[in-house]
Amino acid sequence: MTRAKIELGDVTPHNIKQLKKLNTVVFPVSYNDKFYKDVLEAGELAKLAYYNDIVVGAVCCRIDTSENSRRLYIMTLGCLYPYRRLGIGTLMVEHVLKYVEHDGNFDSIFLHVQVNNESAIDFYKKFGFEIVETKEHYYKRIEPADAHVLQKTIRQANSTPLVNGNVPHAKTNGHD
Amino acid sequence: MPPSNPLPPKENALFKRILRCYEHKQYKNGLKFAKQILSSPKFAEHGETLAMKGLTLNCLGRKEEAYEYVRRGLRNDLKSPVCWHVYGLLQRSDKKYDEAIKCYRNALKWEKENIQILRDLSLLQIQMRDLEGYKDTRYQLFILRPTQRASWIGFAMSYHLLGEYEMANSILDAFRTNQMKGPYDYEHSELLLYQNMVLAESGQYDRALSHLLKFQTQILDKLAIKETCGEYYLKLERFKEAETLYEGLLKRNPENVLYYQKLIEAKRLTTPDQKVAFFDLYKADFPKAIAPRRLQLTEAECPGVFTQLVDEYLRHGLHKGIPPLHVDLRSLYEDQSKADAIEQIILQYIENLSKLGTFSNDTDEVKQPASALLWSYYFAAQHFDFKKDTDKALHYIDAAIEHTPTLIELFIVKGRIFKHAGDPVSAYQCLEEAQAMDTADRYVNSKCARYMLRAGHVKRAEDMCAKFTREGVPATENLNEMQCMWFQTEAAAAYQRLHQWGEALKKAHEVDRHFSEIMEDQFDFHSYCMRKMTLRSYVGLLRLEDVLRAHPFYFRCARVAIQVYLRLHSHPLQDAPQTSEPDTGMSY
Repeated sequence: MTRAKIELGDVTPHNIKQLKKLNTVVFPVSYNDKFYKDVLEAGELAKLAYYNDIVVGAVCCRIDTSENSRRLYIMTLGCLYPYRRLGIGTLMVEHVLKYVEHDGNFDSIFLHVQVNNESAIDFYKKFGFEIVETKEHYYKRIEPADAHVLQKTIRQANSTPLVNGNVPHAKTNGHD
Repeated sequence: MPPSNPLPPKENALFKRILRCYEHKQYKNGLKFAKQILSSPKFAEHGETLAMKGLTLNCLGRKEEAYEYVRRGLRNDLKSPVCWHVYGLLQRSDKKYDEAIKCYRNALKWEKENIQILRDLSLLQIQMRDLEGYKDTRYQLFILRPTQRASWIGFAMSYHLLGEYEMANSILDAFRTNQMKGPYDYEHSELLLYQNMVLAESGQYDRALSHLLKFQTQILDKLAIKETCGEYYLKLERFKEAETLYEGLLKRNPENVLYYQKLIEAKRLTTPDQKVAFFDLYKADFPKAIAPRRLQLTEAECPGVFTQLVDEYLRHGLHKGIPPLHVDLRSLYEDQSKADAIEQIILQYIENLSKLGTFSNDTDEVKQPASALLWSYYFAAQHFDFKKDTDKALHYIDAAIEHTPTLIELFIVKGRIFKHAGDPVSAYQCLEEAQAMDTADRYVNSKCARYMLRAGHVKRAEDMCAKFTREGVPATENLNEMQCMWFQTEAAAAYQRLHQWGEALKKAHEVDRHFSEIMEDQFDFHSYCMRKMTLRSYVGLLRLEDVLRAHPFYFRCARVAIQVYLRLHSHPLQDAPQTSEPDTGMSY
């Protein structure tokens, strides 16, 4: 018997309702209209994951330039319950990693995860993410309200020469 | 053509120019020349000039004046073939074909051998299916122009359509030997296949067969040769040859259902066991083909055998995720025992898949994809919907939605379950949800609009369709222009249910006009197909047009119109306050 087909596809104004449905069931928090409006502009940073041609997962990221660094923030990355542990999350994370590598100008990738979500924490650790901080009362309406910040460092400031100088302050403001 | 009322040379030259202007569509100039003749008091009542002036005016859209001038011209010169021909052309452009035929006949009374009039007449006759008249006219044309290809073809065709196959065949034979001298191109090939069709329709399959075999090197459509030969062998009960042929055809296309049926006929298999064994053979030969597997299910009668086969078939479909799997199997439900077997199997799957991730409780089975359970729920929902067990159907479709809320098909099926349960409002709401999930999907868009019409929301349905119609034009206008008849029939029925009689009639008449238009469109093919030699398709077209109004769209709209007219007859509208409902369609 053939193996299941897993692939990524674009988010478009035509299918964005599927992303909304997916996020509603997968995440305990709900996202506002602005979130979905931005997603439509996000290009490769927002993808739907298809399993045998059915939408079962999605990843949405944005570029964060706060704290004097250029970081990729994973806003949502999730998969419908029956389709977990089939390599769909891995495919999405790998897509993000490839994006970051190809771009060449990110300092790190980070995300928030509820402190009790052990399977998610284990999942990201596989890809070299570490807990770098814990924020209390990060979530407003869910319990537990605390969140870990998981981060994967892409380059230590100063250690990697910049190929193109998009982020001129990155070199000078490093803290090593 | 000798005018019955000749003009002197100068005026005659002007008249010729009117004719030329008409042919070149320079209508304004034509009128100018007509005026030059008619302004002379001597020729103010010249019949042919008046008639031509009328015909020219008609082309400029001035129909009433046109009739006036043409009739006046004709009255002044009743013996002129020109006047009669012109009157015929005018009537024809007005779609009064019967009247036009009479005019042409009158014209021919005064000028028997006018090729142009004869041609025009023959077109009208075939359009009106005056087959006897057509035959006579084609004969005349044949005698007058024996060197022209179209003369022969039309002559033969006229006999064929009357069922005089021998004559048709002889003409085609003579034409082929005398007129068609290589190269053996597509047109030659089509002509041979047409002749073969004539022979077959005469019921002489042996002759048709030897004709086909004799000319097979000159026929380009190799598949048609094989398929037709197979038919003939079967009709002639030459089963061995038929068998070899269909086996060869199956190698070309192992998904062709017809080939399997014909091969069974050739092998003279009759019992279910024989047929099941037959399909086993081809399943082994074509492991990827669906057709032998599916056909085997229809033939299998022994319950044990059927269960085993359908189990295999269902697993394949659910593993792969084939959405129309239930539609594919639905026809098996005629046999209650088969329906029961399917139900048992699918429930077993659902139990095993949700517990073990496999179809069976056999520990050797490899884990099925996560979507297998989803498609099993989906199948079960349709299964119970088909059995009119709404509660169970809803139970399974909800389980499917819970499992994978992103699959659009689920909402379509849920809508259908509500529709079958008599709740058109919930039905269309489900479809609206499905539609929102992929707004680029025209199928779902149309389905949604149809469900809205069923629920009586005509305006909403129009807006839904507008997402896919041309921009800048009202959706209904564009749908009418595109002859979008599923919409118009549904809208007619919706208006009828809403007691908006005028609107209902309007839609029904729009559909009627489409059918008239399809009849009209036929006209161009009478000459085109003869020229292009696509004679088999042409005969097919004529036969289709003959039964055109048997189409369900027409039937349903006609029923709406009849019911509305009867209702308006028994409850005239005056009784209702006219102001409450501005009824735009009441001009009908």
